[in-house]
Amino acid sequence: MAGQRAQWKGFIKFGEVSCGVALYTAASTSERITFNTINTATGNRVNRVFIDSDTEEPVPKEAQTKGFEIENGQYIIIDPDEVAATMPESNKTLEVEAFIPCSDVDDVYFDKPYYLTPDKMGTDAFAALRDGMRKSKVAAIARTVLFRRMRTVLIRPHGKGLIATTLNYNYEVRSSKKAFEEMPKIKIQGEMLDLAKHIISTKKGDFDPAAFDDRYEAALAELVKAKIEGKALPSRKKVEVSQPNDLLAALRESAGLGKTKDDKPKRTAANANTGAGRQRAARGAASKTASSKAAPQRKAG
Amino acid sequence: MALRPYWKGYLKLSLVTCPVSMMPATSEAEKVRFHTLNRETGNRVVSQYIDSVTGKPVKDDNEAKGYARGENDYVILTDDDLDAVALDTVKTIDIDKFAPADSIEWVYLEKPHYLMPDDPVGHEAFAVIRDAMKADKVVGISKLVIGRRERAVVLEPRDDGIVLWSLRFGDEVRPEENYFEDIEAEADKDLIPFVQKLIKQKTARWSPNMVSDPIQDALLALIEQKKKQLKPKKAAKGKKADAAPASNVVNIMDALRKSVEADLKKKKVS
Repeated sequence: MAGQRAQWKGFIKFGEVSCGVALYTAASTSERITFNTINTATGNRVNRVFIDSDTEEPVPKEAQTKGFEIENGQYIIIDPDEVAATMPESNKTLEVEAFIPCSDVDDVYFDKPYYLTPDKMGTDAFAALRDGMRKSKVAAIARTVLFRRMRTVLIRPHGKGLIATTLNYNYEVRSSKKAFEEMPKIKIQGEMLDLAKHIISTKKGDFDPAAFDDRYEAALAELVKAKIEGKALPSRKKVEVSQPNDLLAALRESAGLGKTKDDKPKRTAANANTGAGRQRAARGAASKTASSKAAPQRKAG
Repeated sequence: MALRPYWKGYLKLSLVTCPVSMMPATSEAEKVRFHTLNRETGNRVVSQYIDSVTGKPVKDDNEAKGYARGENDYVILTDDDLDAVALDTVKTIDIDKFAPADSIEWVYLEKPHYLMPDDPVGHEAFAVIRDAMKADKVVGISKLVIGRRERAVVLEPRDDGIVLWSLRFGDEVRPEENYFEDIEAEADKDLIPFVQKLIKQKTARWSPNMVSDPIQDALLALIEQKKKQLKPKKAAKGKKADAAPASNVVNIMDALRKSVEADLKKKKVS
């Protein structure tokens, strides 16, 4: 663990047992491509300054304070000390409030993961908690003051250690039920479902996120090169959307059960014939269909 | 609340394609947010762009993204230019693989989004992809350009929609061995039954109440208290002429609300 700095040190407490633990950042954010903001009138870069919205005079850092908007652009100044006073005193303890079944975990609340490790003295209790949770298939919910906020974390076994994931607050997460409530209730069954399942079975495999590469930077470099050379940038091909009437045919074709693309016009013709045939059959004129189908053959001969 | 979609494009499985829209599952909109104020005047502090050479303010219309070609040499890129980048993953989520549900390590989950059909033409096609994943207990794997990076994404059916997770890159996740190597691989077998007994006692169902924010509540109370202190002062100080009608309106509204409340109270008593 040499060289790694703990983000937080304290205790984890479950029942009457407590042991010393530390949290380490498990995931960092790597840089994405950044652009500079340019003044198109001059081609120069721009700098950012902070000014008073009314007087338009620059406001030095020491004159800046925090405020809360109440109404009509009116603000209440709130002193950072007053904000700090709302912070509960930290007891440096991740107290387990509940265990929840793993199947019950709503991952949409996940914020950031941290590796949770024991100190030398606490390793027995730590290992017992880890293995007990694994056997009971549960995750633990604990709260403490982290990074100057009261945070809830979800703790679960991971290899020889534990991972504590900070959870977003209830008011920060949109409910999936609400997000999807306006969608029509469609349940797919029968042949369509079977075909889709067949397509899935041909594409099943393992996936290792660690091996994934970002192609954006290279593609952007190409784009910039084309622009410098004054070449027209390619416009994106229009995406063909599946029409409801063709959905079954598209699924059949995807599943390798339909006819190949070359057959497409023929199939459409055949479909049209079936439709027409049914109508005619109702009128007792099926023989006509047969004779009309045979007609081209005769001609060819 | 009508939410503006954050991204619009297409969901594709083999030869089936449907238009979809996507929005983040999380939002900071409800969070108590502070603005920066000028202590001397009480006005908002706003940021302004000035030209680095001329020192003059830059009009919004003249701000553009520049890709650094050399020192003080930039290639201007418009949003349309950026949209033309030669990757289909800018507009299309093409599911090229399926993996067992729960096979993606949680540590890779970066940000959740809700994915839904964007046009009635795609309702059924969307439902086919969703229900087949549900029936097979799999998640879809694809890639998508989000925030100028092409990320691996995982699609998981949920309710009537699909949750799309962007995933972290391999070099963003720190190797766990560096942290966990010194921990005992197995616990004392005699201790585990006690832990499991405790787990049983303390097992609860998940509830969003578990992620309440007491500090946000305290901040709201602090703001409320300050508001009360401020009210009389505001009237005494007077405001700029152009702002006066607006504040009057509010005061009338307040007065009306108060009289309605008083009326209701009276009714309750009688």
